Amino acid sequence: MSVTTNETVTRSESQGPAPVKKPQRRGVFAAGQYIPYTLLLPAVLALVGVLAYPVYRLIDLAFQNVNRYALLAHPERAEYIGFDGFTRVLSDNAFWEVVLRSIYFTAELVFISMALSMLIALLLNRVSNWVRVTVITVMMFVWAIPALVNGQIFRWLFSSNGGVVDYIAFLITGDETWKHYDWFADPTVGLYVVGAAVIIWGALPFLVLGLYAALTQVPKELMEAAKLDGANPFQAFRHVTIPVIRPFLMISAALSFIWDFQVFAQIYSLRNAAPEPGYRTIGTYLYQQGIVSSRYSEASVISIVMILMMLAVLVFYIRQMLKIGANER
Amino acid sequence: MTDVLPTAPEAQQSALPPVKKPKKSKETEVGRSGAMTWVWNTIALLIAVVMAFPIYWMVLTTFKTNKDLISQDPTFWPSSLSFDSYKTIFDDKDFLPALQNTLILTLGAVVLGVAVGFLAAVAVARFNFRGRSFFIVTMLVVQMVPLMAILIPLFVVMNSAGMTGSLVGVILAYLVFTVPYVIWTLRSFIVNIPAELDEAAMVDGCTQWGAFFRVILPLTLPGLVTTAVYSWIQAWNEFVVASTLLNTAGTKTSMIWLTFYSSTPTRAADYGSQMAGGLLVSLPVIILFVFFQKKVSAGLTAGAVKG
Repeated sequence: MSVTTNETVTRSESQGPAPVKKPQRRGVFAAGQYIPYTLLLPAVLALVGVLAYPVYRLIDLAFQNVNRYALLAHPERAEYIGFDGFTRVLSDNAFWEVVLRSIYFTAELVFISMALSMLIALLLNRVSNWVRVTVITVMMFVWAIPALVNGQIFRWLFSSNGGVVDYIAFLITGDETWKHYDWFADPTVGLYVVGAAVIIWGALPFLVLGLYAALTQVPKELMEAAKLDGANPFQAFRHVTIPVIRPFLMISAALSFIWDFQVFAQIYSLRNAAPEPGYRTIGTYLYQQGIVSSRYSEASVISIVMILMMLAVLVFYIRQMLKIGANER
Repeated sequence: MTDVLPTAPEAQQSALPPVKKPKKSKETEVGRSGAMTWVWNTIALLIAVVMAFPIYWMVLTTFKTNKDLISQDPTFWPSSLSFDSYKTIFDDKDFLPALQNTLILTLGAVVLGVAVGFLAAVAVARFNFRGRSFFIVTMLVVQMVPLMAILIPLFVVMNSAGMTGSLVGVILAYLVFTVPYVIWTLRSFIVNIPAELDEAAMVDGCTQWGAFFRVILPLTLPGLVTTAVYSWIQAWNEFVVASTLLNTAGTKTSMIWLTFYSSTPTRAADYGSQMAGGLLVSLPVIILFVFFQKKVSAGLTAGAVKG
């Protein structure tokens, strides 16, 4: 309402070529410097409510003993136990197993998806138009499928009963034993082969299309010049292409890391809503401890460790983004 | 509805004819022969087939008869079409309510997220104020907080606010990822609208708010569409937060329904219905991708700080 009243004041005063940045106005709201804060207010309120306060609660919980729903329902019975929660989690071998598994798994995912998408993006630059359109169309469809459904599809593809991957393996090798091969019996195979396949399959579209778009930004003249100077394709790629697409490479590697490290939905649905211990990466472990077992405090400790691990890796990404953001302005 | 998806594998065939056209020869660069292009084309098509296969298999499965489904020798082409799987899905009394919940949830998240984010984006793009850089940096960092990690406190906070089991709580929770992305993406859209335009509008007698609604808002529309589509996809596909916050009460989203549906003992092995359910649940996003293909890929890859 104050908006409308101020508007009438504004109208008479800003008849001249008043610049937007410094409106010559009076009144509390129209005083100019308050406008941006007013515009920001809803966003700030929302983010404080759903992010800042929960993060505060996260830290608070990590120092408490709220490991049953009863304690959550009756906060007066919760106790502060200092660093005991941290000691318990950090001295748990299962936790370190999960952390290590997450690191290996993330490294595998980021490396393979980045390498594959780079190769496919380079390939897209060399194929006929209709082939490129075909590949991109397929990528868009893959991209559109929710992560949860991805897991289900792959569970079906790799099923030991009537699964098509087993059958294709049988067709290729002629070996009957393939027909009932259980890909999920050994979690190492299930996670690092099937799990990785789902996640990489789902991640490729974003990476390929992004890298392809980035590659089209490489000036043709530069490549020609490099070739004239006697650079072989590999050298031209290293010294011309890579520097041009570096910003996107950095961003997509960082994003892959963020997504792959906390991956949950794919593994969850791949294992039919009940991932076995061997499938526990930090995302599934957190869910298992926090939501399934109601260990809110222990899960909070795990969350904090997870955030710290991610931040450690992402500090350089933040700096990179700030540089890019600074150039944009 | 389902005829949207099969276009993926078919696209190869329909696009076949132009291959013979030698129009690319003009662009052919030094050392790039026709024979090599042929090799690259073959590899690329092979990749497309491998990428498309899981989707093809999902669609095919939905039309298979029960006999085909339990067969140890799967057929790569339906011998006869069966719609039993779809019938099972629509007979499930939980399916449509779950879909409705997801729709409400998604619309709420999109409208609220884009509105709140848009206001903030205008502030960041058009005004110089103390704390502006701090705010931008914060938005960037915020997007890096893993959703998984704030799941527990989010549940605890919503629980104490009595909002678990309510769609409103989930809509609010989704602001975590929509708002920073919308601000970050719209900011660059608004920065590119020359300030002279709204100044000129004001010279012509518009108030500042008039200039805002008549100049900035229409010119930001493409950005608004991109961010709305993005928010839609995120909210529609989101699962972890929804399942945590809605688990306690009877409300379900389609994604939760899908996992419950496929993990009940009677349904766990019924892949035909599972795939049909998965496909139906994915359709709204698939359709969005078909309509906004260019915008989605451009918006998500160029502006994406989180996708």
